[in-house]
Amino acid sequence: MSMLSLVDVEISYGQMEVIKKVSIEVNKGELVSVIGPNGAGKSTLIKAIMGLKDIKSGKIMYDGIDITVMPAWERAGLGIGYVPEGRRVFGNLTVEENLKMGCYKVKDNNKNKNNINKVYELFPRLFERKNQLAKTMSGGEQQMLAIGRALVLEPKLLLIDEVSMGLMPIMVNTCFKIIKDLNDSGITVLVVEQNANKVLKIANRGYVIETGHIVIEDTAENLRSNDVVKKAYLGS
Amino acid sequence: MLMQQLVNGVMIGSVYALTAMGATLIYGILRILDIANAAAYAIGAYLGWYIYSISHNLLLAFLLSMILTGLIGVVIQKYIYYPIISKPNVIPIVPLITSVGLFTITGDLIRLILGPNVKEFGVVFKSGAIKIGKLIINPEWIFIIVLTAVLFAILWFILNKTRLGLAWRATAEDSEIAKAMGVNTNISMALSYILGYGFAASAGIMVGMLYNSISPTMGDIPSYKMLAIIVLGGLGNPVGTVVAGLIIGLAETLVSAYMGSILPRDAIAFIVLIFVLLLKPSGLVSKKSA
Ligand SMILES: Nc1ncnc2c1ncn2[C@@H]1O[C@H](COP(=O)(O)OP(=O)(O)OP(=O)(O)O)[C@@H](O)[C@H]1O
Ligand SMILES: [Mg+2]
Repeated sequence: MSMLSLVDVEISYGQMEVIKKVSIEVNKGELVSVIGPNGAGKSTLIKAIMGLKDIKSGKIMYDGIDITVMPAWERAGLGIGYVPEGRRVFGNLTVEENLKMGCYKVKDNNKNKNNINKVYELFPRLFERKNQLAKTMSGGEQQMLAIGRALVLEPKLLLIDEVSMGLMPIMVNTCFKIIKDLNDSGITVLVVEQNANKVLKIANRGYVIETGHIVIEDTAENLRSNDVVKKAYLGS
Repeated sequence: MLMQQLVNGVMIGSVYALTAMGATLIYGILRILDIANAAAYAIGAYLGWYIYSISHNLLLAFLLSMILTGLIGVVIQKYIYYPIISKPNVIPIVPLITSVGLFTITGDLIRLILGPNVKEFGVVFKSGAIKIGKLIINPEWIFIIVLTAVLFAILWFILNKTRLGLAWRATAEDSEIAKAMGVNTNISMALSYILGYGFAASAGIMVGMLYNSISPTMGDIPSYKMLAIIVLGGLGNPVGTVVAGLIIGLAETLVSAYMGSILPRDAIAFIVLIFVLLLKPSGLVSKKSA
């Protein structure tokens, strides 16, 4: 069963075409990864799925619904969670207010409280700092908050952009472990990463994107042993 | 007498803060320096004057004028500013120039429709001035200070205690992410304009009342003084705007009371601005580090 499918998606910034006829398929329950070098168009792709960047042509289907022209705020309402590149927590809001923003679309207050408490259980650090302004937290703590903010929505599909950026190796491992656990608990996940080595250990399948084209598509296991991938992304 | 000057200063300052609050709220969400807020100030004054002249109900004049001017703001935002700022690669100077244009057109429209002459506002308070020792407080001052305080309290409540306000603050900080979290940012924009133009309208009426006159050019001085106040307040920061408005109001009143007319009153705002920015470039209350 397909959770997300992109069909021949093309995206440009002004005259510059950055995504060229990209098709991607994510099935329910899968953990799929898109890897590629700087500037390949990974973040642009994720933004288009979230509704933050208009596409020039093509189609985006989510859970059986055509969301190609749907505004971002309605996509959030359908259960698409987003962990943006560079964390982008609301610095002048408290930790708790950031989490409240994460479930802004959900009107059921009890459910929201419950989900916020679940995030506090997952990240006790956030609970200790719930009344602190987000901008005063460390990079790692902000990343936890960015993940937590997406989780309080109880997303059906989680979009994660470059979770490992700027984190200490130990934090990177923790983050990947959490992502794997979330996927095991039933959330479909699409991760975009430069850190191919680690993400291919937890993903089911992967796509390699280069200058706006999908160049390879395979299971994570095959990608790990693919010569091209090894050379370019696994550093061996 | 110092006490008297302080009362005057606080009153003028709170009117300034109200005038500039609209520009602050709008800058916060849309990153537009909307000079046309000063047009809302004049439109609001004229609407208030008209409603008062037929109803003789001051509260009604304030309320209705604020609502109508706020709605005009929403229309301007939706049909003029939004299409302009959503074009790819617009530079911030474009909406700024648009707002100067809107401001100029509004002044001319008022002149064409209602004539160039000054009109008397004509509010009469039944009770006379209150005297406490040598301190004189006019009833309209009390009215203005109380109304301003109520308006700011409502604003504070909306921004800090409601879901809509939380969404507004998130949008002001990062509108793209706010959208991804489920905020319909069109509503945050409309809220900015309703509140912003409504507040400017109330300030226009207050000034009309205080000086018993309104004219098509009444928005001219506020149009640039408001810039000094919002920059001083840290651009886009509502609390900073109140502080800056009060400081400018007090500075003007105290300087002209104790130093006579060495300095033209309207220049003082900018002298304070330049002085503060030299010491603290981010404004009095700096907004954020990120
Ligand atoms: N707002 C923008 N305006 C113009 N061009 C942009 C914009 N954002 C991205 N681009 C361009 O689009 C291309 C793809 O960028 P994108 O951010 O999607 O890459 P990425 O794969 O996420 O890179 P990274 O690994 O560095 O995050 C790049 O060439 C970039 O310069
Ligand atoms: Mg990126």
